[in-house]
Amino acid sequence: MNPQLLGQSIVLGILTGGVYALMASGLTLIFGVMRVVNVAHAAMIVMSAYLSWMLYRTLGLDPLLSIIVLMPVFFVLGALGQWVVLRRLGGRDLTLTVLVSFGFAIILEGLQGSLWSSSFQAINTAYSLDSFNILGIYVPLVRLLAAGAALALLGALFVVLSRTNLGRAIRATTQDPRSAALVGVNVEYVTTLAFGLGVAMAAAGGPLLGMLFAFYPATHWLWIGKLLAVVVLGGLGSLKGTFVAAMILGLAEQVATVTISLDWAPLVFYLFLFGVLIVRPRGLFGTVARESL
Amino acid sequence: MKLRTVFPIVMLGLFLVLPIVVREGFYLDLLLFTFMYAAMSVGWDIMGGLAGYVSLGHVGFFGLGSYVAGLLVVHFGIPVFLSAPFVGILAGIVGAGLGWISLRARGTSFVIVTLTFTYVIQLVALNLRDITGGSSGLYLPLLTLPADVVILPFYYGMLVLLVVAILVSLAIRRSKFGLGLVAIREEEGKADGSGVNTSLYKILAFAISVSFAGVAGALHAQYLNYVDPDLAFELIITLNLIIMCLVGSRGTLWGPVLGAFLVQPLSQYLIYLTPSGIAGQVHLVALGVVLVLVVMFMPDGIITTWTSRRGGRGRARPVDAPERLPEAAT
Repeated sequence: MNPQLLGQSIVLGILTGGVYALMASGLTLIFGVMRVVNVAHAAMIVMSAYLSWMLYRTLGLDPLLSIIVLMPVFFVLGALGQWVVLRRLGGRDLTLTVLVSFGFAIILEGLQGSLWSSSFQAINTAYSLDSFNILGIYVPLVRLLAAGAALALLGALFVVLSRTNLGRAIRATTQDPRSAALVGVNVEYVTTLAFGLGVAMAAAGGPLLGMLFAFYPATHWLWIGKLLAVVVLGGLGSLKGTFVAAMILGLAEQVATVTISLDWAPLVFYLFLFGVLIVRPRGLFGTVARESL
Repeated sequence: MKLRTVFPIVMLGLFLVLPIVVREGFYLDLLLFTFMYAAMSVGWDIMGGLAGYVSLGHVGFFGLGSYVAGLLVVHFGIPVFLSAPFVGILAGIVGAGLGWISLRARGTSFVIVTLTFTYVIQLVALNLRDITGGSSGLYLPLLTLPADVVILPFYYGMLVLLVVAILVSLAIRRSKFGLGLVAIREEEGKADGSGVNTSLYKILAFAISVSFAGVAGALHAQYLNYVDPDLAFELIITLNLIIMCLVGSRGTLWGPVLGAFLVQPLSQYLIYLTPSGIAGQVHLVALGVVLVLVVMFMPDGIITTWTSRRGGRGRARPVDAPERLPEAAT
């Protein structure tokens, strides 16, 4: 492969990887506190992409700015959904929580289909086609902006988790909810806020997805697969691991696109996903199963 | 004989002679699909109800069955009614492979793998254009039968599949294997500790569970004379199975059957009521809402709720298993 093409795919891979990291961050956060895969995560991202697209078409609001509007709305809806629906299911049976999130994924998909039809959409702004050249490598402006926004938001999330009391409580709950409760963390309350935070991160991913890729209601099945690959490779529940994994997979996908073909490139994610599960059945940094003899 | 034994046999006899009386395609078609869903639900429940591992990817095996049977008839001329049992076995082998990847550890891997498998297999069906016809699909040769009886082989085929599914499920419930699965559902750590080979049990249960979806997919492909990546991997199929099992009662022999006979006709009626332009999407929303409501307010389902209301046995015992501990299985 010629070096310029390789350089090109590395740059695109890193920029796209940043966006994958943002989209996966909420999924890993929610898994961390609840031990449940939020099947509806990608459907929420696509929902946010649709809303951002609507805001741009009707009010002319820039998709990057719509993140500021969408995040709080999704935070409230997510926290409310957790408090009203998921909390009631409690720890009784985690499969019930998975089924509810599966149900929500389908409700969101159906809503998008009935509101906006099931054809392809994309958010095309005035600068969507702009790009520039660095050392012969072509850098699309939207990818750079999206990666920048993703990095800024991930940085903010990292600061919240490492520097604030809420962040400490979330990390404690992730490690061990029972011990967290013993040292005075209100686990129910923290779980709800963490869920809201995770959904808000999904909201932040939507406009970026809409700027970079075409989307339609059923695309979330592709995305949930990609994001789960990222999250599993990164070790379920670990934010830093997720970031590294997103970079690896973003790069691998771009390299596969230029060396193999665009059609088969998504398979890279699943090969990684299944590969990790074969080698380490509990995931790369697998946690010890809670239930013991 | 008890009512529980007589009723199913009477119903089976009724379904066997029904096509003589009812010649209308509409009702036979409705029943055919109800049998298909009931058979797949019984299969789903072996994993989702007995062993307590919820699969979100049964439609992947349905689609796999559709494609394999379709390719066999198109490229090699092997009729679907001949290949269907082998397609089921193949689906079981693939299921065992996925199980080996995802069931050796407890918990989340299984959900992740079943969720993503459907997409992988759909991607393969879409991209192997030379073999599968890609997004334009695969046309199966029509059966050479008069138009008014062409539905009958499918009607009886699906009925046979349902009967086999129920018998297999019954046999599992009466065996040590079934008892082991229930032990896994109730307390996997303790099941493991008392000598149940939990990984093997789960993998085997999943393989059996998905094989019915494979056979159903095969028959369905020939029934429509057509397969394409959207039709074969329609999400609603997995969703229906889960709803049917939950409504009827997970972990019971007749729950999934009851669920299918309630949900499928109702669902078809609702589709008939909504305007066709948005029916598909509205149907999706409605089923999603039903799933959430059922999980929240009726997770035990009709049969379990009914038996515990009557006060008899508390939580209905899902298995009629011998009262002895499972021995070490390896």
